[in-house]
Amino acid sequence: MQTRALGDTGHDSSVTTFGTIALNWLEQEGADQMVELLLNHGVNHFDVAPTYGDAELKLGPKLRQHREEIFVGCKTQEREYEGAKRELERSLTRLGVDRIDLYQVHGLEYEHELETITGEGGALEAIREAKDEGLVDHVGLTSHGDPQLILDALDRIDDLETVMFPLNPVVVGKDDPEYDYEAVLERANELNVGTLGIKAFAKGPWPPTDDLARADRPYANWYEPVDTPGAIRERFDFAAARGLTSVVSPGDPKLVAMVVDAAERYDGMDEAAQRSLVERLRHEESPVPEQLHH
Amino acid sequence: MDVPETVRAALDDRPVTGAVCLEAGAGLGNATAGLLAAGARRVYAVTNDRDHATAVRERVGRDDRTAVLEADLRDLPLATDAVDLITAHGLFNVLAPESLGAVVAELTRVAAPGCHLVVDDYDPVPDDAAVGDLFAVENAATRLARGHPALSFYPAAVLRRLFVGDGWAFDRELTLLEPVPWTASHLRAHADVARAAAASLPDELGEPLAAEASRIAEEIGSESVGRMYGLAFRLAE
Repeated sequence: MQTRALGDTGHDSSVTTFGTIALNWLEQEGADQMVELLLNHGVNHFDVAPTYGDAELKLGPKLRQHREEIFVGCKTQEREYEGAKRELERSLTRLGVDRIDLYQVHGLEYEHELETITGEGGALEAIREAKDEGLVDHVGLTSHGDPQLILDALDRIDDLETVMFPLNPVVVGKDDPEYDYEAVLERANELNVGTLGIKAFAKGPWPPTDDLARADRPYANWYEPVDTPGAIRERFDFAAARGLTSVVSPGDPKLVAMVVDAAERYDGMDEAAQRSLVERLRHEESPVPEQLHH
Repeated sequence: MDVPETVRAALDDRPVTGAVCLEAGAGLGNATAGLLAAGARRVYAVTNDRDHATAVRERVGRDDRTAVLEADLRDLPLATDAVDLITAHGLFNVLAPESLGAVVAELTRVAAPGCHLVVDDYDPVPDDAAVGDLFAVENAATRLARGHPALSFYPAAVLRRLFVGDGWAFDRELTLLEPVPWTASHLRAHADVARAAAASLPDELGEPLAAEASRIAEEIGSESVGRMYGLAFRLAE
């Protein structure tokens, strides 16, 4: 499987990153098999968080067994020093390792949160301290919030080494600044910050719960995913061709093998095919009957 | 409404900033929106279809750089040498062969010396494409009802030679879409055109054509096939 330099970290990440939230839906034996499957196919970057149910615990045994083969990213939703320090310690314990390769401020949404994490007594202080102590190797940020906020974070956090944000053809087709994650990708590339793409496989929101009860949804994802080999491959190719370092696999374990297969077969996607996908989805999302042209 | 990626790609290497532009065959104003976003000084959006004119006004009419004109492309209400950049984005496929010469001559008349021209359109769909059957029924119905086909797909090389023959220098060719995503909404719209034309024909002729258009569109659903190209030309200074 193709690997790409993860910014300035010195690590070459596989072109797909395993979103380990998928382990939360599996029993331990299945979780172990899933990790082996990914390793067999050359996936070397795993992403976990304390908020992913018991994914940390289920990843633990195989992570310890294959510690040197796996670059593990973990996250904290805490914004202040004490909370972040405590959460990092908890993750180290639950994963059962003495070092996390990439520790990310998780789900940044508001400007005031950026103030808090960058300020005195903020979460970044705890992460930098952990870096000095050898508990963490690299600092990252994740957000599916306002692209402008991520751009601000890229400008303000000098030692930021990775960013994780949404990128898919539906988002690319929209002009509003609130969807302009391509600007984030461009800026991160200029700064040589590694880029991890999420929501690459999102098809759209689930139908209203009146039409489809939460318990009747066929996938664990909080959005409706694309779920055929062709569509998964198309979405993967698009995200990877756009220039992300690595595309994060979706949260439902039933989809992971298809994503790994797509990643393994990845061979680029030319611009005309990328535009074709954007246009197709643009029309499917808001069909305008009288529109005959692309 | 967002500017399509096709329009962005077609305008990306053109000098739009500060230019007086003409969108020939405005449709829903996709190119007009792209020209405005790229910094055009003025955009004339020309269409002979009242519904399209209304749609373009609703979309971009608040921008005082825009003038939406309802006019025939063979007789534009614009002065000679009036525009710096012309777009024909998805225009030529709705022009029948017999009107090509007059439209090209009129676009050339309003083009200022050094004018840029962007022509984005579709290559003929491949023989084995299912959408080809729908277009065939649509063209049969419109030919019988109005005397000319709704759709004519000209190969890139044909339009290239046509404009070069009228004094335009060829600049470049891009592939804008490959494959072309003919979505369910596109195909329903084509079936609608076929049924509307069929409705004006005698029942024994119109009814089977309308039924066939509905059947094919329903059966295909959607299809991604063929190529959309982007040509660019320039008039001598």
